[in-house]
Amino acid sequence: MNRILLEKLQLHFGHASFRPGQREIIERLLSGQNVLAILATGGGKSVTYQLPALLLPGITVVVSPLISLMIDQVQQLRTRRRIPAAYVNSSQDPAESREILRELGNGVYKLLYISPEKLQQPYIQSVLKRIGVSLVAIDEAHCISQWGHDFRTDYLRLPDAIKHLGNPPVLAVTATATEDVRKEISQLLQIAQENVMSQPLNRENIALDLVRVSDEGERREQVLQLMDELKGPGIVYCSTRNAVEVLVASYQLQGSKRVHGYHGGMESMERMLIQSQFLLGELDVIVATNAFGMGIDKPDIQYVIHYQLPSSMEAYAQEIGRIGRNGQPGYAVLFYVEDDWQIHQHMVEKEYPTQLQVMQFFQAFKTAASANKDAWGPTEMTEEMVQMLTFYAEQTGLDQEVAAASDSGAEHVQRIWQETEKRKRLKKQKLYEMLRYVEDVNDCLRKKLNRYFGEEQVAFTLHCCSCCGLDRQAYQGDRTNTTNKKDENSWDLRQALEKLLPKK
Amino acid sequence: MNNRSIAAQDFLCAVTINAMIPLANERTLQAAFYILRGRKANQTLQDVHLYHLYPYYRMFPRFSKEDWEKIVSTLLQEELIVQLPAVTPTSKPSFSITEKGIDQAEQWKSAFQLDRWNEPFTESGLAEKIELFWQRLHLLVQTVSQLLSGDLGFFPVVSDKKIQQWVKNQLASHTAREQWQKRLGEELHTLWSPLPEDVQKLLIGQLSGATQVGKTLGQLAAQQKESAFYLQLPFRYGLAMSILQLQEDPVRLPLLSHLVVQTEKWDTRLTESAARTYTLVQRGMSIEQIADARKIKKSTVEDHLAEIALRCPEWDCSAYLEPTLSALIIQTSEQLQTSRLRLIKDHLGEAVSYLQIRLALARRQGERWT
Repeated sequence: MNRILLEKLQLHFGHASFRPGQREIIERLLSGQNVLAILATGGGKSVTYQLPALLLPGITVVVSPLISLMIDQVQQLRTRRRIPAAYVNSSQDPAESREILRELGNGVYKLLYISPEKLQQPYIQSVLKRIGVSLVAIDEAHCISQWGHDFRTDYLRLPDAIKHLGNPPVLAVTATATEDVRKEISQLLQIAQENVMSQPLNRENIALDLVRVSDEGERREQVLQLMDELKGPGIVYCSTRNAVEVLVASYQLQGSKRVHGYHGGMESMERMLIQSQFLLGELDVIVATNAFGMGIDKPDIQYVIHYQLPSSMEAYAQEIGRIGRNGQPGYAVLFYVEDDWQIHQHMVEKEYPTQLQVMQFFQAFKTAASANKDAWGPTEMTEEMVQMLTFYAEQTGLDQEVAAASDSGAEHVQRIWQETEKRKRLKKQKLYEMLRYVEDVNDCLRKKLNRYFGEEQVAFTLHCCSCCGLDRQAYQGDRTNTTNKKDENSWDLRQALEKLLPKK
Repeated sequence: MNNRSIAAQDFLCAVTINAMIPLANERTLQAAFYILRGRKANQTLQDVHLYHLYPYYRMFPRFSKEDWEKIVSTLLQEELIVQLPAVTPTSKPSFSITEKGIDQAEQWKSAFQLDRWNEPFTESGLAEKIELFWQRLHLLVQTVSQLLSGDLGFFPVVSDKKIQQWVKNQLASHTAREQWQKRLGEELHTLWSPLPEDVQKLLIGQLSGATQVGKTLGQLAAQQKESAFYLQLPFRYGLAMSILQLQEDPVRLPLLSHLVVQTEKWDTRLTESAARTYTLVQRGMSIEQIADARKIKKSTVEDHLAEIALRCPEWDCSAYLEPTLSALIIQTSEQLQTSRLRLIKDHLGEAVSYLQIRLALARRQGERWT
């Protein structure tokens, strides 16, 4: 067995040996046990289900919430690793999904990536059941936990779906999970205590810095200066698109590095180009919202600056976790102004419904209008909010019949609203934890961060944190002007084309 | 404000006032904004057509309302344009161009070489073609470049599924792949060598492949210390010239001409069947004749007419529906606050047919589309 595992690892993934934890996870899955794996981002998550997929008879189903991530992974599997894989999600048109399901029935694929809501569909379940599912891997498994910072209602329906597939072994993987979240995942997916496996969360090569500034002007000045001084490549995270644009514009007035913004409001082609430029080292700094970074594999990121307070410790850990995956010392600094929390508070308030909105939802639900998107127009509810409300309505045992029989539905409205309020409080609690991290100035940052995730390790490579003492200069680079590397060569169309499309 | 943003502001004023000149005294101030943004409403499409504003249509698809308002207030402040109040309670306010405005517009026109960059835009639909052409070309070049380097593990720059599928189809067979790899560079050279050097640089600089990642137009603008708004003009010019050349002489560039072939053989605004009906309508055939010729029911032809009224603003439907009757139907619909054919018909009686009501409502609907 050992030899086969290593051979496959070498053949398909090009690694000579396993990273810590990988082999144990794979062996337990192959012996039919459910496993929860807490693996740092970039810690070789995907191998833990892609390798078993090759060895097991039927198909491995990978549940993932992010369409772009699915597409990237399938593309890489096909071209780099020569493993037949496909995906089914809402970005496809029905004809495309049908074609994939047909091929699936013929046993063409070893891995199927699927979004959680697609896995609920009875037809897809029946196809999968017929060909036999050997393993279900759940990516971003913390989304199943109501205690998680990124709870998704359609994840909560996964245990049912797995039952319909004949209870194959389950692998739940996540990068960040507090003790509560681990417990909830294990309980929902029936994972035994001894099968919860985690890599140490502590990132020894990242130094943690925290800077409290009195106002926006001071913050901007300091961050602009750091962007010039620190050795890149680096990422600056901002809370809003507007902050991204303002920071980039002010940097470009005097800064000397190659810097570009990245956020969800940009055109997709532009985003693709910027991301590729960064990956290939043609940009030194990306200033981004949290839309940037998921699924990005760039091992040499040297620093992450948080321009503002992040929304939770989980988000913070994930974002700084992108530093130094090559093992080199890296630097994370968080700037905050006292009232930074207000923007997050505001976003949370907007995300969850008011009592009035729940009442409006109930009336629309009753008249079976929930299928018709236009019906929600006057209530100013986002699609996400309607989805969330539909989920909680079902959770409280509400269906169209029950609703029709009840007049105002006061009782149901109350129960649904209480559920959403619970979620809202939890989000605020996460924000509060984040605030505690920055407000409590007398304790070691590494200790606080790791303790939040239930760990006590405090080892570090170069520096620990600003509380224990760190020397910023160690992370500064030479300030050579990279933008002025203009080639003044005379233009030649043929040459330019041959660079792009060389003669065969 | 630095020099670059002053220049950008000037350029936007230049484009805006030149687009506004033919619209003066007839349309609202906003009409030019809709044209520059490329709004797809019937009113906008009609204006483009009527006032020959083809080069301006979709010139800046990402033009923001704030940017626009800044431009308008500058033009008003400088007294290049003046606002005109509505003449009657039902008409809309308009604007006129001052003498100073006309002079300034001329001056700007030559300073920014507007005539030169606008020259290829003499027909409607080119603006949409440009976008499709560029996306296809971009992904095609990237894919062929990766094929040539033997590495297919790349992020496609274009995420649009339809474009990806189109490129896949082009490269489906082994022979086609060989051809594209062997000849794409050469054909691009033939296609682009007549273009000015700065346009060539703009096109190539944005392309991605195995050896380079494309720059965004904004990045190229920063390099050249130009505004990205301005670079949009030579860029569009390059693409429009490419398309026109490929349409004119497809034989000379057999591979690249695939990019401009319209795969659907019918007017794509309509369903295939309605489009067939439309060609017969344009030949002057009556409903009965069309139903006979196409061996379909008269009621189906009537469905098609309603569809055409909705989607083809250039169609003159007065043979079926006089303007006064149309106005009466709309008025009735508004008065009764309904679009239900039955209610309107009950109200108006035998004088109108269901077809006429449908045409009138479809026309109104078409105008509301944004």
